[in-house]
Amino acid sequence: MRVTVKDLSFSYTQKPVLKDVSFSLQTGDFLTIIGQNGSGKSTLIKCLLGIVKVPDGMIYLDDEDINSYKKLVNIGYVPQKADFNFEFPITVKELLMAAYSQFRPNSKFNTIINGLDLNRFYNEDINNLSGGQLQRVFIARALINDPKLLVLDEPTVGVDVDSLAIFKEIILNLKKEKITIIFITHDTFFTEGLTDYYLELDEVLNYSFYKAGDK
Amino acid sequence: MYLAFFDFFRALLNPNFDYLRFAVIAGILVGIIAPLIGTVVVIRRLSFIANTLSHFSLAGATLGVFLSKLLRGTVLAEYISVLWLGIIFSIIGTLMIDKLSRFYKNYKELSMPIVLSLGVALSGIFIALSEGGAQNLTNSLLFGSIYTVSKSDLILIVSISAFILIFIVVFYKQIITFCFDETFARVSGINVKLLQIGITLILALFISVFMEIIGVLLISSLMIIPVAASILVGNSFKKTITFSIVFSLLSVFSGFVLSYELGLPTGAMIVLFNIFILIVIMTAQKLFLRKKKKQIKKEVPNN
Repeated sequence: MRVTVKDLSFSYTQKPVLKDVSFSLQTGDFLTIIGQNGSGKSTLIKCLLGIVKVPDGMIYLDDEDINSYKKLVNIGYVPQKADFNFEFPITVKELLMAAYSQFRPNSKFNTIINGLDLNRFYNEDINNLSGGQLQRVFIARALINDPKLLVLDEPTVGVDVDSLAIFKEIILNLKKEKITIIFITHDTFFTEGLTDYYLELDEVLNYSFYKAGDK
Repeated sequence: MYLAFFDFFRALLNPNFDYLRFAVIAGILVGIIAPLIGTVVVIRRLSFIANTLSHFSLAGATLGVFLSKLLRGTVLAEYISVLWLGIIFSIIGTLMIDKLSRFYKNYKELSMPIVLSLGVALSGIFIALSEGGAQNLTNSLLFGSIYTVSKSDLILIVSISAFILIFIVVFYKQIITFCFDETFARVSGINVKLLQIGITLILALFISVFMEIIGVLLISSLMIIPVAASILVGNSFKKTITFSIVFSLLSVFSGFVLSYELGLPTGAMIVLFNIFILIVIMTAQKLFLRKKKKQIKKEVPNN
């Protein structure tokens, strides 16, 4: 999926958070968004996912304005763990089946489950999983509906070193499949070698968009 | 207890005791529906909303009682419905909670005690204005009176329960995704606003329909307590819901039998039995965990 952002500005009531941000991604590109807390990373993601409304003409997905874009199933999203309502029991299978757009798992669904090695804890309560296992479940949930754009919000937080290595391999495979990936992180170490572009945001409304290796 | 069960079931089969059968059917339905709605309320961390709405819809119901008295003898009196006023007030209460919470950034929950207080205050005024003429109805609105369920009440209860069940079955996937992860639900294309309205409407319908038989003061506990107990024993979503319905129905039956034998209010007995189950589970869990810890200590002795 191609993503184009043109002079995107956004403010919450009086406080501006993003000012004239522009960049564009081709199908299969990998973008890493970096910035401190309060730099507008989360707001930019909310705009890109259509969670907050932006004026027409600022964000295009495959040349279609985001405000008229209906095929939301084409966007996969891996949220920050803090956004999830934990404690109430639900198994991996139940969570994935609830998010799945089909009634019965097809071969692609099973490939994702096997590829992410979720079989071992497929019927486990997600509240008993480790940080790394949980992240794999969230990635599976984002992939089962065959997305063309994958947005990952701070997915490495709380994930152990061994799981990070597996996670990197998974992302590498997705990149090979030509899925456009937007990855928000505090830590650029993980995306080194994966990313094609960086978008750096700061607290005073500046931004820079550059190709990996250009800075 | 065995004899009490026997007595109760003998009365249930008595052809003259229609009111008892109607009450039991209403009790079974509330026993199934309450924990289903309660699950949504608990996961969304809205337990206090149910309590607030039931108190606010009491204002609507008591307004209905007052208006019926005021307009007695006129054509308009026929159009006053305690039930629909209760539903309308439930919906108004939800909107007020939403609007008031926007005034605060970190104290959003403040909106609920404000709406609850307003509901109680208005109810107090409408009850006083009804001047005792409707004392029985007001009393049953507060504490419930399951044995006053008439045939037409029962038809309404069955219809509303069927509507709620169909809603939950049809939107099962969307409700789960929305409850656990609202942002993900939005990104997946679920119309979160419409779903939220639907859930609120279901909650309002449930509270208003069952308010008179269970009581405003007890209705939210029927939603919350079986779910609070089942979370402690369930290890999957389906099992947790099943456990909550089993606990709820067990409480309904025990509440009926105990209240029948002891001559005490049924709603109150059902809630007490629900709390009894919760305490048993909490105690069993504590003992089990202690035993497990001891076992682990034995297996891994200190150096």
